[in-house]
Amino acid sequence: MHLHPAILSGDVGLWIMAAGPDLAERFENEALIYLDQLYGAAMRMTRNPADAEDLVQETYAKAFAAFESFTSGTNVRAWLFRILTNTYINIYRKKKRQPYISGSEDFTDWNLHESESHSSVGLRSAEAEALDQLADRDVVDALAALPEDFAHAIYLADIEGFTYREIAEIMDTPVGTVMSRIHRGRKILREQLTDYAIERGFISAPTGGGGQ
Amino acid sequence: MSCGKPHATPCTEVLAWVSMYVDQEIDEHRRLQVTTHLAECSPCAGHYAVAVVIQARVRRTVVSEPAPVQLRAAIIAQIRGGSRPVE
Repeated sequence: MHLHPAILSGDVGLWIMAAGPDLAERFENEALIYLDQLYGAAMRMTRNPADAEDLVQETYAKAFAAFESFTSGTNVRAWLFRILTNTYINIYRKKKRQPYISGSEDFTDWNLHESESHSSVGLRSAEAEALDQLADRDVVDALAALPEDFAHAIYLADIEGFTYREIAEIMDTPVGTVMSRIHRGRKILREQLTDYAIERGFISAPTGGGGQ
Repeated sequence: MSCGKPHATPCTEVLAWVSMYVDQEIDEHRRLQVTTHLAECSPCAGHYAVAVVIQARVRRTVVSEPAPVQLRAAIIAQIRGGSRPVE
């Protein structure tokens, strides 16, 4: 997958001057069919409808500008999500001035093995049941509290069903980083949800010495 | 930490691979190692159960509304309209 140079440079000043009706029709059939999915992702990223609409419209403008040189048969959906992600980072993340996640994101077995351990059997199965009882609100809050890149990777995998390789293309990172973001994101999610489950009384707090 | 029983693949490795296992992003050799391990190690099996529940909760919880009709209309107008440059 490659992006039109205009997209990479952010210069889409001269789009669609020569776009014929066929191109517009093909674009609608091949790209516009993902509108609801892109809007859902944009809503989750910007967290408000006005910004989500602007982001999606900008995404489609850039996509259409590059569509003529886009090889048909390639993964249009992943390509659109990549443009959406780039556009979001360039416009909204700068605006929000959100600090980038610090620390190494490189995937190494060391990273993953670090502090991985399981607690007692009873706690874990009780935990799975307890997490199933939590209100949706708690899950929404836990997801919203995740570092943005972790949440986006999890969203692309679990909701959009992209493969790690596709997510790597979309987020412009190595596959190892995708693995690391998803793994670490889920770990944080689990800890947060388990805390909620303890607060709600669905599970009793582990008493000292019980594993992690 | 281990559950105390001997395993061909250590618990630490299995726990590190659980995400990839859940996402079916694991090579066949490792997948078999994890499957075998989960069948004989209940703490790791519990950990896996938690991972499955969390994925299911995420899928169930994140529901998207369809895009507003005026957005679709605006994009179509932009595409078909032809000459309006985007800054």
